[in-house]
Amino acid sequence: MKVATTRFGEVSIPDEEIYQFPDGLLGFASVKQYFILKHGGKGPFLWLQAVEPGSLAFVVTDPLVFKPDYRVKVTQEDLDSVRLERLEDAMVFVILVVPKDPRLITANLQGPLLFNPKKRIARQLVLQGEEYTTRYRVFPDTSAAGSVSGHGK
Amino acid sequence: MLVLSRQKNEAIMIGDDIEITVVDVRGDKVRIGIVAPRHVTVHRKEIYLAIKEENIRAAAADAESLSQIEDLLKPSAGGPAAEPPRPEPGKPGEKPAK
Repeated sequence: MKVATTRFGEVSIPDEEIYQFPDGLLGFASVKQYFILKHGGKGPFLWLQAVEPGSLAFVVTDPLVFKPDYRVKVTQEDLDSVRLERLEDAMVFVILVVPKDPRLITANLQGPLLFNPKKRIARQLVLQGEEYTTRYRVFPDTSAAGSVSGHGK
Repeated sequence: MLVLSRQKNEAIMIGDDIEITVVDVRGDKVRIGIVAPRHVTVHRKEIYLAIKEENIRAAAADAESLSQIEDLLKPSAGGPAAEPPRPEPGKPGEKPAK
């Protein structure tokens, strides 16, 4: 399938790599098909790109990269909703808000994305507890982010 | 808005398959039990709104900003697919490995 995207131009994506989000994402309920693109070469960032509209894309990443103790409480209903039989087969990403100043990147730990990589079905979970915030600072120590310097200020 | 008075342990049916029960009333706090089909998602409104707002903010990601910071975070061994967070099961019998 060829997809015209705003950020990446025309992208050719095998049909079997497209994820179905039967419920969409909160606020984007009508957008039900996405695929994943890598951002750049070496970083951990991925783009969750909508098939339609091509202008819609989210930055996602593996939460364990910056929060190794992150754990998602998954119910049987959650598993069923993406037709997963075993938790071990799941893939979990979180969505990032990436402002102009990259040191201020936040991750939505309360609304993670649960993927079934085999059946290509995914869903945004809404965690009920108050353990995780929607605006987790990925770089809480700004001096650490400053060490990439040369960029921004 | 339809407003109904209910006492503790009384319920409301919405359609044929959604049942809302007042489980407990204490001061200004009401505990509510909800039975709904699986396809009906139920969330606390403030959490629902917060996540929706974050999604909308996230949709405006700055790709240039992202590239600047890319080197700072290294992928975990094997990449995201190989090491998902080990979810804690909501029900017994779904023990994650290890």
